[in-house]
Parts: sequence; structure tokens; C-alpha cells
Amino acid sequence: MSADARTAILARIRAAQRTAYIPDMKDTPRTLEPQTASVEESLARFTKELELLGVASHVEATPDAVRARVKELIAGKRVLAWDAEHLPYDVGSLAKDAILGRDDRDTQAGAEIGLSGVHGAIAETGSLVVRSGKGTSRTVTLLPPELVAVVGREQLCFSMGELFQKQEKAMAGAACTIAITGPSRTADIELQLTLGVHGPGKVTVVVGP
Amino acid sequence: MAVVRVLEKLGIEVEVPLAQTCCGQPAYNAGFHGDARVVARHTLDVLGATTGPIVIPSGSCGDMVIHQYEVLFHDEPAYLEKAHAVSQRSREFSQFLREILDNTDIGAKVAAKVAYHPSCHLLRGLGVRGAPTEMLRGVQGVELAEAKDQDECCGFGGLFSVKNPEISGDMMGRKLANVEASGADRLVSCDLGCLMHLGGGLNRRGSKIKVQHLAQVLDEGLSK
Amino acid sequence: MSAAPDAPLPPFAERARAAVKNEKLHIALGRATDALGSRRSTALGSLPNSDLVRDVARKAKMDMLHDLAGHLERFEERLKANGVHVHWAENSAQLNQIVVDIGRKNGVKRIVKGKSMASEETHLNVALEGAGMTVVETDLGEYIVQLAKDRPSHIILPIIHMTREEIGKVMHEQIHVPYSDDTQTLAGYARVRLREEFLRADMGITGTNFGVVENGTLCIVTNEGNGRMSSTMPRVHVMIMGMERIVPTMHDLDLALKLLARSATGQKLTVYTTMFRGPRRPDDEDGPQELHVVLLDNGRANLLGGENAEILGCIRCGACLNACPVYKSIGGHAYGDTYPGPIGSILTPELRGKGEWKDLPGASSLCGACRDVCPVRLDIPRMLLVLRNEGNKEKPAQLELRLGMKVFRTIASRPGLYKTAAALGRFGLRLLSKNGWVKWAPGLAGGWTQVRDLKAPAKKTFQQLFRERKAKA
Repeated sequence: MSADARTAILARIRAAQRTAYIPDMKDTPRTLEPQTASVEESLARFTKELELLGVASHVEATPDAVRARVKELIAGKRVLAWDAEHLPYDVGSLAKDAILGRDDRDTQAGAEIGLSGVHGAIAETGSLVVRSGKGTSRTVTLLPPELVAVVGREQLCFSMGELFQKQEKAMAGAACTIAITGPSRTADIELQLTLGVHGPGKVTVVVGP
Repeated sequence: MAVVRVLEKLGIEVEVPLAQTCCGQPAYNAGFHGDARVVARHTLDVLGATTGPIVIPSGSCGDMVIHQYEVLFHDEPAYLEKAHAVSQRSREFSQFLREILDNTDIGAKVAAKVAYHPSCHLLRGLGVRGAPTEMLRGVQGVELAEAKDQDECCGFGGLFSVKNPEISGDMMGRKLANVEASGADRLVSCDLGCLMHLGGGLNRRGSKIKVQHLAQVLDEGLSK
Repeated sequence: MSAAPDAPLPPFAERARAAVKNEKLHIALGRATDALGSRRSTALGSLPNSDLVRDVARKAKMDMLHDLAGHLERFEERLKANGVHVHWAENSAQLNQIVVDIGRKNGVKRIVKGKSMASEETHLNVALEGAGMTVVETDLGEYIVQLAKDRPSHIILPIIHMTREEIGKVMHEQIHVPYSDDTQTLAGYARVRLREEFLRADMGITGTNFGVVENGTLCIVTNEGNGRMSSTMPRVHVMIMGMERIVPTMHDLDLALKLLARSATGQKLTVYTTMFRGPRRPDDEDGPQELHVVLLDNGRANLLGGENAEILGCIRCGACLNACPVYKSIGGHAYGDTYPGPIGSILTPELRGKGEWKDLPGASSLCGACRDVCPVRLDIPRMLLVLRNEGNKEKPAQLELRLGMKVFRTIASRPGLYKTAAALGRFGLRLLSKNGWVKWAPGLAGGWTQVRDLKAPAKKTFQQLFRERKAKA
């Protein structure tokens, strides 16, 4: 049935293509090169954009400092975390009792803070990029009301276009890739801003060396 | 007539082809393209028989002649060529002044606080943004008033004004409220449709704000 | 329960009249369009080479339209290779049936839904409920619209027409929470209620912002996270997609994403930009077992065949609504169908009937503000004019107007007649005038005097004055 619909639709489209008026754009280029930048420039831009988004960020110079910062941020809270082997700077050692992506859903839903790494980050927009996969459950950056994300400096791309170019193979290997830009929000009610609707309302980023 | 007087005071010889009637825009915008073509062909015949620059004292007529004629006649090669030739020679009034003048102060003197309303066809159709306000600033004694949402459409829109009177009136109300709030004592535009519509609205509100075409301000300023 | 496709619509003129008188609506519309408009300006101002980006994005969409069929075939190939089920629906009935069947096959009882305007076109929710499944809208605005049995009035801000108090009342009455008019509290109610739904749902349905032909990526964007929830928790995920919502490459997706959020809300990117490649992988700990895409025609192929094909390049950002002075005066409901504003004035007649819906393209002053803000530079005024012309062919205009046009065309092509007619007209108006102004006129011209006065014409015409001046010289 859907096959018949498919045939009919494609035939209709092909007939339409013959008479369609589609404005010409001869003088316009077809592509634009994505912007890139040095690690320093990207880091500076990244932290600036995070600030504009209301995301707290901490740039740490050593793995020890990263761990100290994360320890402080998750202290006393029930943590839902990526598997330790996917967390950078041995941050996993701070959350040995964390709830994991393979635990049952209701337990996961009870977590107070999510702890994740990233698969990439975009300086231009202050975005964190995470992919689904074993040990890097989507729920970690979605269910808890708070999120701490640990980013390695070298994971930064300046632009999304650059990230797409660099990570095409990795993205092809994952069921989904998500760019997270700031805390969950809505302004549907009289244009007044509310944070933390379905995703985390508070996001903190720790950038390591 | 103000247009003629101003142009003559600037030393320009003005001819008015007496067989001209209308550019045809009312029919075009209402979706009667066949009827519009009939009228437009006559206008192109009349204007095509002239030589030299063509000055059009209204933004909407200007956009029709300068841009829309080539769209209307896209499948009629003979008139497409005429449309193109006429379009090249045509300018809206303020656009023309800006092109021929080095100094926007032509010696006009008027004491007034003026809110300028850019007509949509002039602003977005013809891309004329600065010329009218530059000419106004060139008039000694004129102070420009800043109205909120100055670029927003006044609600005239040709036949829209009579076919959708409630919406047209509502848009007009918003524009006039913003003009009144700006403290202006005059409202100036380069489009006769907008002027009729806003002028009629101001009169109905009992407003004291004077409504003028840019040419009338310049004419008044040069007559002192 | 959803609002069914329902009672006959009052004529457009009546809807517009009622909307124009609605003070509360005006306040809400003014606030929202002002804010969104200025945020858009700022956001595009901070995008380097924004004009060029818009041109190249437009080109990508136009390129795609040149061979929509070929692109769709390649898209389908990639999707299937990624393990995605692809369905084709010629019309609303087929789309609804396809989704109901997917639900039935998977024993689905509870559905959570992210925003999909294409599904509103087909009234999908009604069909699903008819098949015994419950559907909960999860975009906050759409959730409240659903509770209120209302319709969304703006593409990006569905409940722009409702006040906090109205929303509080709806929630109190429909989901029995204590009344509140505090936005945080109300959003909090929704968060708690919807979390339950997300965790228990069998199937998630979302729309699709973009599909990428070269690798079968499916992209949705949300600010709240409801899109992620709807596509992560349930075991089946169905994506509804207007078949034109594709771009050829990831490069094009990047450009489109650069423009979408900035044009819609002034953000650089929507909070969650999710790019799906397929259902969950064997080792994944979450994600749907099955991912389906339903490609919808519903009049789009016919649209492609005409003068207005470029409208299929629309990325549904809503910027045109925020810029439109007519939308500002009448709000979204007056447009009478799924899509409001300038985009709706084109889509509705094209998809539903050019004669029947000719009032919509007529309700515009052709100011062009929409074209100025459109991220892909759609020439909306041109398309409205096409629809006026075609609408008149399908459903002739009122007799007075048609006769008037014939008279106009005859007179305006014969200078002698024109002068006589104009003289008569001036005479008539002077008769109607008092102290230089006409306060009332009959017929079509009565539309003028309904809301403003008409200056009585001068005694002499411009041409008379000019000739006199020349004679003197």
C-alpha cells in the first residue's frame, strides 16, 4: 500500500518538476567553508558563549583540578553518570556509586545530577555534543534536573560545520548525536522564561587541559 | 504640482505626457493580471514615446513601473523590452533628487517637527531608504521625529484598504498612535496612497497633524 | 481529547473583524512580535556574513527542489540502510492510517507527541484516539492547547494568545492542580505530569525539522527537551515529515540550523538539536527499537508544479509572522487552518484550495516585511499575487469588483475616457463631501469611509494646472 503511494507520489513529483517555477541563483556559491580557529580562540569563545547561555563554566589547568572541581559539584547528590571508562580525567573514580545507564529507568529518574563527558563541543554556540552508545546513555544528559559535563580542550571545534566534517564517521556509527546548547527552557507562557522543563535546568561545564 | 514647481526651481524642464492614465497596479495587485496588462501596455506606449529621465511622484507607482512591469510582461517579448527601457529611465521623486543633487539643502526653510513614513513600495520595493529623510534634513528648520516601528506598513495596500477595512483600519490606528506619540506636527511620505489613507485617518481622529508629500514640504520651503 | 476538524468556519471577514476588536489578543501579539522581532535582528546581526549564509541556504533548498524526486529516492535508500522504516503517504487519510497501523502492530496504548505541524494538517491525534490510543502533546504550548481543546495560534509560540490566568484556569480544570498564575509553577505542573507520560509511553511521535539526503540523518530541534524524551524513552519512534523538508548535505543542515533558531527566537541554536541516524544500536542502553519516518505529500507535489514552488523551501521559523502587520492585527486563529501568518496565506490555498481560501492571500497590503526577514528569502509578496490571480480564476471575485476591473481597464487605456470618468468621479465625491471631506461613500468605496475620511478632490486636476502653467510661461 505504501509502495503504491510511493510510486504515485514520485510520479507526481517528476511531473511537477517539469513545470515548476524555481528561481535561479546562478551567482550564489553552493557552499561556504566552515569557520575554524585555534584551540585558544575556541576556548575563549566557548566560555563566552556559555556565560551568555547562563551555563557556569570552570576552566581547569590540570586533571587533579578537574577532579577537585567535579567532586565539589556533585557532592551530596545522587549521580547518574556515563560509565567510568568514557569519562575523561578519571572523573569516574569520583562517582563509583553512581546510577548508570543500564540501571532501571525509575532508578535513573531518581537521580539529582547527571555527570557526563562529551564527544565534542562547539565554541561558536557554546554547545556540548554527545552521542548515544554503550556507556554513554542519552538519559544522563536528559533526565536529572542538573548536569555536569566534562570537556577536554582538544575536543573543541569552532563551528558545527567543522564538527560535522571531523566527526562524520563517528556520527555514522551512533544512533543519534545531540548538540546541547544551554539549559532546558521554555517561554511559551507569556514569553516568560522558565528553565528546566524536561531536560536539566542547571548545566555546569568543566573544561580540562 | 508641488513636484513640478520644485523640479523647475532646480532648473529642470518638466514635461507631462497628457495621454497617461494609470500604471495599472490596482488591477495587478487585485489578481486581475489580464486587465492590468491592458492598462500597463497603454502606459508603456505613452512613456516609451518620451526621452530622458522619468520622475514618478509615488513609491508604489514607481515600484510598479520600475520592477513589476518586467514581471507582468515576462512572457511578452515586445513589451518586456519596452518595460525594461522605461524602467532604466525611471526614478521615484526623492530617488531622483538624491541622484542629481550634491547638496540636499536646496534652500528650503520650514519650521516643523516631521514624522517620516516610508512607504513599503519605496522602502522595500525600490530600496530607497535614506533619500527622503536626507532631503528632509536638508530643509532648514525641520526636526525629524522618531516614531516607534517607523518601517511598519500603514495599512493602505491599495484595494486592501477597502476590501479589508477592519485590518487596514487597525494597522492605520497603530501607525497613527506611534506618529502622535512621537510629538510630530507633520506627517510626510512619498506615496499618495499612504498619504490619502493616513490623512483620512488623522482627520477622522480630529488630529491637528498636517499631512504632506515630500514635494509639498520642499515647495512650501522654497516659496518663502 | 483533541479538537476535531470541526464546525464550519465563519467567513474570513468575520474572523478578522472579531480578532481586530480583541484587545487582550492585541496586547499579547504586540508583546510577542516586538520581542521576537528584535531578538531576531540581534541574532542575525551577530552572525558573520548573514546575507551570504541566507543566499546559500536558499540555493541549497532551491537545488533540492529541482530534483525533489531524485533526492527523496536517495534519502530513502540511506534511511533504509540505517535501519529506518520508510513510509509514503499521499494524503491525510493515508498518513493517519500508517501511524495507527504502526501503533496497532506494536500494541501501543500510550503515545507522547513532540511538535509536528504536518500531523496537525492531517488531524492525526483524532485518528489515534479513534483507534483507542491516548496521545499527549508534550511541547508545553501544544500541551496546554490540547488541554484547552483549542488550536495553536503561532508556529513557534502556540499559546501566545493566552494569558497566564487563562492557562492556570485550564490546568486547574483539566488536570486538577491547584490554580496558579505563576509561570514557573505552571511549567512545573507540566514537567511533573509529562515526565510520567514520557516514562510510561509505548510510542513517541515527533515532527522533523530537516532530513539530510546524503546520509539519512533526521534532525529535530526543541528547547524544552520534550523531543529528546519522546524519542528516547518509548520503544517505537515515528517521525512525521513533509516530504519537502530535506536538504542535500550535512553542510546544508549546518546552514539551516544557523538560520533557524536565530530567525525564530533569537537564539544561536535551539537548546536540543538531535540528529538521528537510526534506531538504537545493539549495545545502546536506551533509544527506540524501531524508528519510522512517514513522508507526507498532501498537495505538496502539486504545489511544486506551479509558480509558487519555492514556498517548499520554508524552514518553519515563524519570522514572517513576527514581522507581519496583518498578523499583528488579527493573530493566528483568524487564518483558519494549520499554518498562520504569511506562510499560511500561501500554504493553505495551495494545499487546500485556491478558490475556497482566496481571502487569505487577499488579506495583505503586500508590504514585503516578511520577505525581508525570511531566512531563505522566500518572495512571499510575489506568491500572494500569483494566488490572487489564480484564486480569481477558480472562484470569481464579487461582481462589483469584476465589473469594476473591466471598467478600469477600458477607461485607463483610453485617455479621453479616463479624463471624463475622472471628472465624473471628482464631481460625485464633491457632492458627498462636507468641509472638504467625504465621511461616507457607497458600495466598495464604503470600505474606505468605514475607518477613515476621504479628502474631497481639488477643483482642478493636476494636468489642467500644468497646462495653465505652461500657457502662462
